[in-house]
Amino acid sequence: MIHLKNVSKVYSNGTEALKNVSLDINQGEFVFIVGPSGAGKSTFLKLLIHEEKATFGKIKVNGFDLIKMKNRKVPYLRRTMGIVFQDFRLIDKMNVYDNIAFAMRAIGAPEKTIKKRVNYVIAIVGLTGKEKCRPNELSGGEQQRVSLARALVNNPEMIIADEPTGNIDPKMSYEIMRRLVDINKKGTTVLIVTHEHDLVKEFGGRVITINGGEIEKDEKIDSKYFLDESVDSAEDSEEAEE
Amino acid sequence: MKFSSSGYLVKEGLKNIWNNRMMSLASIIVLVSCLIITGAAILLSLNVSSLISTIGDDNQINVFLDNEMSDIDSIKLGAQIEKINNVDECEFYSKDEAIKEFQSKLGNLYESMQGDENPLGNVYKVRLKDLSDYKDTIAEIKTIDGVTSVSDRAAIARTLTKLNYFVTLVGSWVVLILGVVTLFIISNTIKMTMYSRRFEISIMKSVGATNTFVRIPFIIEAMAIGLIAGILSSIVIISIYNPVRESAGNMISLIGTSTIPLEQIWGPVLLGFSGIGVLIGALGGFISITKYLRKEGGEILGW
Repeated sequence: MIHLKNVSKVYSNGTEALKNVSLDINQGEFVFIVGPSGAGKSTFLKLLIHEEKATFGKIKVNGFDLIKMKNRKVPYLRRTMGIVFQDFRLIDKMNVYDNIAFAMRAIGAPEKTIKKRVNYVIAIVGLTGKEKCRPNELSGGEQQRVSLARALVNNPEMIIADEPTGNIDPKMSYEIMRRLVDINKKGTTVLIVTHEHDLVKEFGGRVITINGGEIEKDEKIDSKYFLDESVDSAEDSEEAEE
Repeated sequence: MKFSSSGYLVKEGLKNIWNNRMMSLASIIVLVSCLIITGAAILLSLNVSSLISTIGDDNQINVFLDNEMSDIDSIKLGAQIEKINNVDECEFYSKDEAIKEFQSKLGNLYESMQGDENPLGNVYKVRLKDLSDYKDTIAEIKTIDGVTSVSDRAAIARTLTKLNYFVTLVGSWVVLILGVVTLFIISNTIKMTMYSRRFEISIMKSVGATNTFVRIPFIIEAMAIGLIAGILSSIVIISIYNPVRESAGNMISLIGTSTIPLEQIWGPVLLGFSGIGVLIGALGGFISITKYLRKEGGEILGW
C-alpha cells in the first residue's frame, strides 16, 4: 500500500525535511503519524499525495510508483485516497450534499451514481437530514464529518487525515476518531497526522513518530477499539448507559 | 473526461460568468471595443480593395470639356471622340445634369451653383474597347481642342492602392495590438475567476480531478465571453455600416463606383466576429488556466 525506501526530501531553500526514511504501511492499517511542528509530517503527506516529489529514494503508494509516475497520472493516484483537512475545506456556497457530490463531479461521475453514493456516505457519517444545510449552519464536528464524507465518497483505498481534530472540541474529536475507526474496520487504511497525544493513547493502532525528518519511533499501541467486535458492543452499551 | 460530465462543465463555465459578472462585463466591453475597431479596419480595407478592383476593371473614362464651350461645339467634339479607334461608346453628360447629381449627393453645398454659376463643364462618358490601349487613347483624346482633362482612373486606382496598402498595414498592426490586448483582458478575467475559485480548484485536485476537467469550465467561460462580445460587436458594426457607407458612398459614387453592400457582409461579419471572439476566448482561457495549474494549482495541503 505505502512503501518508502531511503526517501529524502530537500527543499530548494536547502531545508532537509525528510532524511533517509524507510517504512511500509499495509492495507487496512490504522496509523498515527505524530511529531512536533517542523518534524517533517506535512512533507511526508505531501510526498504521499504527490504534491511534492522526493529528492532521493523510492516511493510506492496504492500501486503507483511515485518516482517514475508521469504528472498526468497524479489524479488517478489521488482517486485512491481521500483527504481530510484540519480546516475542513468545505465550500461555503454549497450545501452538505453538494459539498460531498462535488468530489464525485470533479472526477466525472454520472449524476445517478452520485446521488446514490452521496446519500450512502451521508448516512455513514451520521448526517442524514442535514443534506440541505450550508457549512455555516453546522457545528465544527459536523463540518468535519462532511469533510470525512467527501473523503469517503469516491470509495478510496486510504484515508489521509491531516490534523482532523485540530479545529474541533474534544467531544467532537472523539466522535470523528470513532468514525475513522469504523471506516478502518471496513478495510480502508487510515493515516492520521496529529499532535494530540491523548487521542493517540486512547485510540492506539500503529504510531509512527517523526522527528527532525527521521522516523524516531514506530510502535504498536493496543487499544480497546481494535480488539474485537465485543469491545464495540461494550462501548456501545457504555454510551447507551451514559 | 467522460461525456456525462459535459453538461456539468458547461453549466459551471456559464455560472462563472454570472458569479464574476462585473469582471465579465468589463471584459465584454473591452472586447467589443477591440473587435469594433478591428472590424472597422478590416471592412475599410475590404471596401478599398473592392473599389480598386472595380476601378481597375472599369473601361469607362470621363472626358471634361471647357465650360465655356457651347452645346453645339460640345456635340461636334463628341463626334471627334467617337472617331478614335478604341472608343466603343461616347455618351454626352451635360454640366446641368452633373451639378444636379452633385446637389443630390452632396446637398446644400452646391445649391447656389446653378446656370451661369455652374463651375462644371460638359462631360463625355467614354467607354473603351480595349483597356490595354488605355494610355494611348487618353493621350489621343487629350489632343482634341476643347478637352480640358480626362479622368485618369489608373491614377485613382494607384492612389487607392496606396491607401489600401496603408490601411492594410495600419489595420494589421491594429488587429495585432488589439488581439494581444484582448487576449490579455480575457486571461485576466479568467485569472480573477480562478482566484475566486482557487479553493474549489485545490479541492478538485485533491480528489483527483484531471487538469482537463479543471480547465474546461474556465475555457467555456472565456469562450462564452468571446462569443457574447463577438455577437455584440457584429450587431454594432452591422448597424452602423449602412449609414457610414451611405455617407461615404455619395462621395465614392462620384468616381463612378460603389462600396460592398450590407447584404454581402452581415453574414461573414457575424460569423467571423463570433468565431474570432470564441477563438480568442479559448486561447486566453487556456493560457491562464494552464499557467495557474502549472504553478499554484498543484498545491493541496499547502494551500
